Amino acid sequence: MFPRSDTTKPLYVQIAEWLENEILAGNLLPHERIYSQYQLADMFNINPATAAKGLTILLEEGLVYKKRGLGMFIAEHAQANIHKKRREQTLQLLIRELVTEAHNLGVEESELLEMIHQAITSRKDGSS
Amino acid sequence: MNVIECRQLSKSYYRKRALQDLSFSIREHTITGVIGRNGAGKTTLMKIIAGFYRPSSGEVTVFGERPFNSLKVSQNMIYIDDQMPLPTSLTLLDILHMAGRFYPNWDHDLATRMLNYFSLHPEGRHHQLSKGQRSTFHAIVGLAARCPLTIFDEPTTGMDSSIRKDFYRALLKEYLSHPRTILLSSHLLNELEDLLEDVLLIHQGKLLFHMPIDELREYAVSITGPEKLVERVTADREIYHQQHTGSNVYTTVVRRDASILEAARQHGLETAPVSPEDICVYVTKQTKGRIDDVFNRNQP
Repeated sequence: MFPRSDTTKPLYVQIAEWLENEILAGNLLPHERIYSQYQLADMFNINPATAAKGLTILLEEGLVYKKRGLGMFIAEHAQANIHKKRREQTLQLLIRELVTEAHNLGVEESELLEMIHQAITSRKDGSS
Repeated sequence: MNVIECRQLSKSYYRKRALQDLSFSIREHTITGVIGRNGAGKTTLMKIIAGFYRPSSGEVTVFGERPFNSLKVSQNMIYIDDQMPLPTSLTLLDILHMAGRFYPNWDHDLATRMLNYFSLHPEGRHHQLSKGQRSTFHAIVGLAARCPLTIFDEPTTGMDSSIRKDFYRALLKEYLSHPRTILLSSHLLNELEDLLEDVLLIHQGKLLFHMPIDELREYAVSITGPEKLVERVTADREIYHQQHTGSNVYTTVVRRDASILEAARQHGLETAPVSPEDICVYVTKQTKGRIDDVFNRNQP
């Protein structure tokens, strides 16, 4: 469950992404209380200051809001906003990387599209 | 609030300068890793903070008082290392009972549960313990004392890796439930970095830096690629470390910022983060040449 697999990202960013994934998956619902820095510290065995930094990212992006003395809660449109952000930024970035790598390897456009098509087909077969 | 403040703190033993002009402060309820090579001055610094030694010059205050001969500091502080002179005539359980009389926040239940978890016999004697068991016992005393200032000097000496992990976990659990100011010295930064909030790096008696671990994690970047290209991109930058792999692959470690990342990206060079442990090793390199050179005596 630990997001540690991608070690190139700073720990607090990994915490933020883990929380985003929880919201995206619907495990944390709007106006529900999000984990505190101390709960996250206990769960992931990290310093609570690092966990707090991860929570701050979500706060700055408006995905959570603060209630004084009560903690942080999931914002109304958090799930939709994460969805939008991932589509516009993360997916676009991955596609650019994919295209660059294909170019470096001399893979033709039609060949690349065929490979993507195959990957989609095999995923469909696998999940059905 | 600052629990510890040092201003131009220096310490000399006879002619040897052990600490030189250290100025820093430690905030309440933080876990700080005191990191440095062997002989860097970690123990001297922590023993001055504990009030065991008097500084040669400069000033140190702990809870607002000079720690040397301070009743307030000794009441609120515990110093744990692997050489605690504990009585050989008492059983481990007796020692825990004694400790409970010294420390007002002592949690005896926690102490005995940990003694049991780590399979230390309550009727055992301190001098009969192995090196690792002794460290474990001291760590139990350090955690159960719940002192507002808890200093661990190389607490994991001799512990096997499974016990070290348990100790770090216990330390974090205790810190979460009973926040306190913790200093933790070690040279194994890798395995305790997740636990830390700040890092204090000492080298040859001087303070190299004191910064949040999250900043240190993004302090430097390694750049890898063809030698000429890497040299061009990292020209006029301070190079912390360099390494050749094969005939034409070259890696350098430099300070990380947006412009270097962009330049590396434009030239198609590989970038990778540098772990806090590696940065500490690079900036405290004091040996002449490399260990390989020791074995290549006949070569020019």
